[in-house]
Amino acid sequence: MNICSLIVHTKPTTGPLVSERLQTFHGVEVHGGSEEDKLIVTVEDEGETVSPVSDKMNALRDVEGVVNTVLIYHYGGEESMEEMNREIN
Amino acid sequence: MKLTRRDFIKSNAVAAAASVAGVTLPITNAAAADADDGIRWDKAACRYCGTGCSVLMGVKDGKVVASQGDPDAPVNKGLNCIKGYFLPKILYGEDRLTKPLLRKTNGKYDKNGKFEAVSWDEAFKTMAEKWVAARKAKGPKGIGMFGSGQWTVWEGYAASKLLKAGFRSNSLEPNARHCMASAVGAFMRGFGIDEPMGCYDDLEHADTFVLWGANMAEMHPILWSRLTDTRLTKPGCEVHVLSTYEHRCYELADNGMVFEPQTDLAILNYIANYIIQNKAYNKEFIDKHVNFTKTPTDIGYGLRATDPREKAAKNRNKGKLSKISFEEYAKSVEPYTLEHTSKLSKVPKDKLLRLAKAYADPKKKVSSYWTMGFNQHTRGVWVNGLCYNVHLLMGKIAEPGNSPFSLTGQPSACGTAREVGTFTHRLPADLVTKKDAHCKFAEKTWKLPAGTIPRANGKSDDADQSDISGKPMGKTLIHAVAMHRALKDGKMNTFWVMCNNNMQAAANMNDESLPGWRNPDNFITVSDPYPTVSAQAADLILPTAMWIEKEGAYGNAERRTQFWREQVSAPGESKSDVWQLMEFSKYIKVEDVWPADLIAKKPEYEGKTLYEILYTNGQVDKFPAEQVTDSRGNKYNNHESADFGYYVQKGLFEEYRLFNSAEGIPKKGHEMAEFDAYHKARGLRWPVINGKETLWRFREGYDPHVAKGEGVKFYGKPDGRANIITAPYEPAAEPPDKEFDLWLCTGRVLEHWHSGSMTRRVPELYRAVPDAVIYMNPKDAKKRKLRNGALAKISSRRGEIVCKIDTKGRNKCPVGLVFVPWFDAGRLVNKLTLDQTDPLSKETDYKKCAVKISRA
Repeated sequence: MNICSLIVHTKPTTGPLVSERLQTFHGVEVHGGSEEDKLIVTVEDEGETVSPVSDKMNALRDVEGVVNTVLIYHYGGEESMEEMNREIN
Repeated sequence: MKLTRRDFIKSNAVAAAASVAGVTLPITNAAAADADDGIRWDKAACRYCGTGCSVLMGVKDGKVVASQGDPDAPVNKGLNCIKGYFLPKILYGEDRLTKPLLRKTNGKYDKNGKFEAVSWDEAFKTMAEKWVAARKAKGPKGIGMFGSGQWTVWEGYAASKLLKAGFRSNSLEPNARHCMASAVGAFMRGFGIDEPMGCYDDLEHADTFVLWGANMAEMHPILWSRLTDTRLTKPGCEVHVLSTYEHRCYELADNGMVFEPQTDLAILNYIANYIIQNKAYNKEFIDKHVNFTKTPTDIGYGLRATDPREKAAKNRNKGKLSKISFEEYAKSVEPYTLEHTSKLSKVPKDKLLRLAKAYADPKKKVSSYWTMGFNQHTRGVWVNGLCYNVHLLMGKIAEPGNSPFSLTGQPSACGTAREVGTFTHRLPADLVTKKDAHCKFAEKTWKLPAGTIPRANGKSDDADQSDISGKPMGKTLIHAVAMHRALKDGKMNTFWVMCNNNMQAAANMNDESLPGWRNPDNFITVSDPYPTVSAQAADLILPTAMWIEKEGAYGNAERRTQFWREQVSAPGESKSDVWQLMEFSKYIKVEDVWPADLIAKKPEYEGKTLYEILYTNGQVDKFPAEQVTDSRGNKYNNHESADFGYYVQKGLFEEYRLFNSAEGIPKKGHEMAEFDAYHKARGLRWPVINGKETLWRFREGYDPHVAKGEGVKFYGKPDGRANIITAPYEPAAEPPDKEFDLWLCTGRVLEHWHSGSMTRRVPELYRAVPDAVIYMNPKDAKKRKLRNGALAKISSRRGEIVCKIDTKGRNKCPVGLVFVPWFDAGRLVNKLTLDQTDPLSKETDYKKCAVKISRA
């Protein structure tokens, strides 16, 4: 499966509003940064053969209020979803 | 609290992003983020563009499972562009080649046979036989190699040595000929030394940015992020964008301009004229640091000599500069008034005026950026130079924020293609084969008899160089486009393509390239990780260990050299390009390629192989193989060292460094740090003197080559002065006419890098942008009764392809111009393009030819 983190820069003061818009995408989460207009976002898939992650990352760029998106971290291991969802602690 | 592996990875991802953004988050899984997840992290330079971002690669169980923008990298500061998502995936395409493949029938090589797996030994034996025969029969141009700005530094260096010193042939070219040659030409003519004077730090220092034919938003997204940051946070900062169609950069532009193709020449002369008319120029600077010159005009278009356009050219291929006065220069740009330039370029007057004022304002720091719009231009050297003219007139050069900057498209177009001598006319460190003294220095450094390296004119000490063919060496230079012509004409019989997809990339492939490759007299070898269009058109395919499957080094556009270690093993029997080059040289005996009189000058070389002469020469094999270990104790393989028995990369790099550091070097200014320093640093920008990198060249206080009190010194030129070179507007080779009524411009899109041989193998990318489309103005579409999404036939005088029309996409074309990207192997736009080049740089112009479009 693929898990990515991104920084999404928004137009000044629109952080909270854009954050709401992003949360409507399936597999997209905003973890903070709306005060700073720099949203900390993750995008993940459910282990599909052809991942929708890159399409989603591209779609985020076209959301109203988004100035720029940059990728920071990408995990793309090939373990099964059972393995990924197994408790480790 | 419950924690899954998925939560754990996600918290790592979030922590990394928050740290780069400088955002504090309510900590949820802090403990998890600190835990060891069994992933080994190490730095690498990105595989794609010339920006040179550093990425951290996460390897687990011998496979790349994660990647991250390198937070310690000065270039990208932890950021990664969207292509970074596909970096690990390009290693794992389903059709990776794993064995050498030779065309055979009934167990024997046959040009028309089917590909069969063979051993490396059989592959190289077959190849050596063909190469030796071609070299003997057809002279130094009978063989050829086409390398790459994606080669690592030592791959380019090893190739340069093999061809120029080993085979005694200057038939070596990089694909950078198609991308950076015009930039190089202008640097050499203007400054006498290659590559930009400034660096990426200018992105934070400039007040005004001007983009000339560079779609940074899509092609250099990380630099674009830095530029965007400055634009949004610095009061008074503005962005000017010029192109022949609107692209994503226009979203940020304060002054967006779309100009008629080729009129960038006129616009730059208008700016110079404006500066002079308003006496805005920096008189002290030009008095002290500048010479005024002119270049011959009406020089043709680099087509075959039989073309009527070439016959009509008064000064075909000429470029010798002659000195003029400031007054003569001023007069030469006088015709480029606002009125005239606006009419010619179709850019509104107020926009041109605003642009000229930005350059002419002594209080504004201006950085200009360009890529293929300037370089792939039949007047590419001229137009690069015209931009330097403007910066030099104002003295806005070689200091923070004032920076004319040529961006590169490939990860090591600078570090490899330009710096180690992979062009036909060049040797390592800016030395050239037309200078006898440069060749002699290279021969001494390489422990070769004087006269080994073929001179451009085939003469050393004014005497003909003797050749294995029995004839005098003759003229030896041959550029990329001419190589395909020579293959077609049967003058070149063997060709080795490495680390690029030249069958897809070469202009006019139908008429020139394919007939050349499939000519029954010719033997074509392609080294690649994948069965590209080029591989399929070859006779022998060699499987290649790519990028982080080998220890490597790239040099980016700001002179930064970056190293990485071998992170994972390549599949099957794949081997790196440097391994292939060196291993192949074991199959060539010196007597097969050097005449007896040359060997007699160095009798100890009798009976030796090229491998022994070039690589086990006491320099390249100087450093014993060692266990490569990073500062944290992680261990890495090095498959070349394991096979050859010495530290191959270190030996090649340290020998290359002699060209910058040995006693009596012909040119200074290109100094590098020692090998081990680069494995520790996040890259260093040359010249590196006493371990310290140089950010801005030619200026006192920044560049150690400029002495105290000198202020500015363009030390690449003997008198320390840069050249302002006047050149006029001249029309393009094939403007639209009644029948072929549209301009065709080709280029890249964000999702696919170059010919797509890597990116098109990533399923997500393929799905997102599967096919090339024709970006077209809605009015042009309507006129031809074409709707958005309709299939259309696009044809030129040379060929036709069928694509869908896109009138609403990211690229917005003006009436009269269409844009088609070239990544699509199923829609080869280079069937349409014209094999025109800049007559000076020999770089192809892929941006301007005439086409027509109708319903398919």
